[in-house]
Amino acid sequence: MNPEKALKLFRSPLVVVNVGPKSFATAIEKQGYETVQVDWKPLAGGDKQMQELLVVLGY
Amino acid sequence: MELFARIEKGKYIDSLETLFSATVFNEQPGIETGNIGMATDSFKDISKELGLLTDEIAALSEGDYVIVAKAESKEAFEAAIRATEAVVKKSSESKNDVSYGSPMEAVRANPHANLCQISVPGEYALEEVKKALDAGLHCCVFSNNVPLKDEREMKELALSKGLLCMGPDCGVANINGAALVLSSINARGPFGIVGASGCGIQHVAAILHEAGSGVSQTIGTGGNDLKAEVGGLMMLAGIDVLEADTETKYIVLIARKSADNVKPKLLDRIQKCTKPCIVFFMDCTKEQIEALGAIYAENLDDCAAKCLSLIGKECRFETDEELWKMASEAVRGMNKTQKYVRGAFSGGTYMDEAMHTMEPLIGDIYSNAPLREDLRLKDSYVSLKNTCVDYGEEEFTLGRPHPAIDASIRRPAILREASDPETAVILLDFILTPPGHPDPAGYVTGDIQAAKKMAEQRGGSLAVVASVLGTTADFQNIDEQKKTLRDAGVYCVSTNCRAAKLAGMIVKLKKEADS
Repeated sequence: MNPEKALKLFRSPLVVVNVGPKSFATAIEKQGYETVQVDWKPLAGGDKQMQELLVVLGY
Repeated sequence: MELFARIEKGKYIDSLETLFSATVFNEQPGIETGNIGMATDSFKDISKELGLLTDEIAALSEGDYVIVAKAESKEAFEAAIRATEAVVKKSSESKNDVSYGSPMEAVRANPHANLCQISVPGEYALEEVKKALDAGLHCCVFSNNVPLKDEREMKELALSKGLLCMGPDCGVANINGAALVLSSINARGPFGIVGASGCGIQHVAAILHEAGSGVSQTIGTGGNDLKAEVGGLMMLAGIDVLEADTETKYIVLIARKSADNVKPKLLDRIQKCTKPCIVFFMDCTKEQIEALGAIYAENLDDCAAKCLSLIGKECRFETDEELWKMASEAVRGMNKTQKYVRGAFSGGTYMDEAMHTMEPLIGDIYSNAPLREDLRLKDSYVSLKNTCVDYGEEEFTLGRPHPAIDASIRRPAILREASDPETAVILLDFILTPPGHPDPAGYVTGDIQAAKKMAEQRGGSLAVVASVLGTTADFQNIDEQKKTLRDAGVYCVSTNCRAAKLAGMIVKLKKEADS
């Protein structure tokens, strides 16, 4: 792969966007790194039929 | 004690938070047994086992949140919920309380963001990875149970954008000094690691750290990267970026098994690599690796040792002589019925390594992930002769965090195995990581002492053998964890492989003594 963007990451201060349990972000913060939390929950509260319907409707 | 429940329909709380809440909740006065979680099938199963399942809870959907307990009174139940909520709120307080609806929104507000860590259920992973890649973020995907076609799609998209996609099922990655997902905290150094085994990367990196060296970056590809359907895309990309990275002087490659259509590509890339490569591929011979001009490693310990020899350092593992001495001390005091080893593992790679190490000493080993299919346990809760159980297998972890985080998954195994008069040795692994239990060794020392007492009451003596994976930089501190175990009478040795060898030696010596 073209390594340019990975090398840019390696040379920059790490800022982690965390999608999932907040405790994973807290674990990174405790090491002294910046994090940004994305609140994630399953579409339609995990209801499979509703999710399929929402996909059909373009969500 | 009466049963009380509080149900909140449509409220989503992630599994790590519910796990923490349940732990705090069970410690509250007036609560005999409680459970907290989303009403998934696995939550219902566990609640049933604990005698907490009501018809109302059984009828809920997995989008509903439940707090249930056997409590002294309604007041005690409500007070315990209030106390738990207060503790959970305090523990999750973060420097940055702002949160966003999507990676794109997060990047718009934080343009310096450069990596996205994704830990959502596997079926949702592709969608979230696409959003993160579209926002220009490298990805580290912890989610597991992701379909292989989804994995291929996310990795191809990442490569087309020049971005890394570590995982899915990436347990270990250290980027710019940060320990992501379930990694250990490591010092920086000249070794860049790409691995399809999280445990393998963590093991080698931890030994490098403890010997005074360290890692430039570690790139976990996820265990499925080298399967035919995925094509080793991230292993190859990892080699490319570490070869171009000036901080990386040596490239370390770790893998269990690669598909027939992937291995030739990998070997060809290693041969063309312009930096020294140290290779531990479980399915390659010494001759195959050395023919590429690379350095062959026989196992994980050897991989770390070979790395260190390149920079004039060494690591110290117990010699076989030292282990035999410990083994002969351990068998003293055992009674006639004690014959077998019972391994309870948090890591699949470690269990595999342990079984391969012990088999030449003790023969067949039963398991829930055996070396041979005819050695598969019918019931993972019922051990047979020599047995090893991987508590990271799906049967234990579906809907729950990995045992490296949730130490309670494996905990009952210690007393269960000790109650069997045929158990001579209990073999355990402990894995340290920032999101993990703050004191995994301390969490089970009470059980270990109780287990030893059970054996003594039968006129015997139980050996407990363990290893700890981690570093002195980890919040739990490996030295303190080892001391806790040793103080509880555990034979705590330097690595999983040495621990397995010691356990095997004990069983072998005991057999010889009995015959």
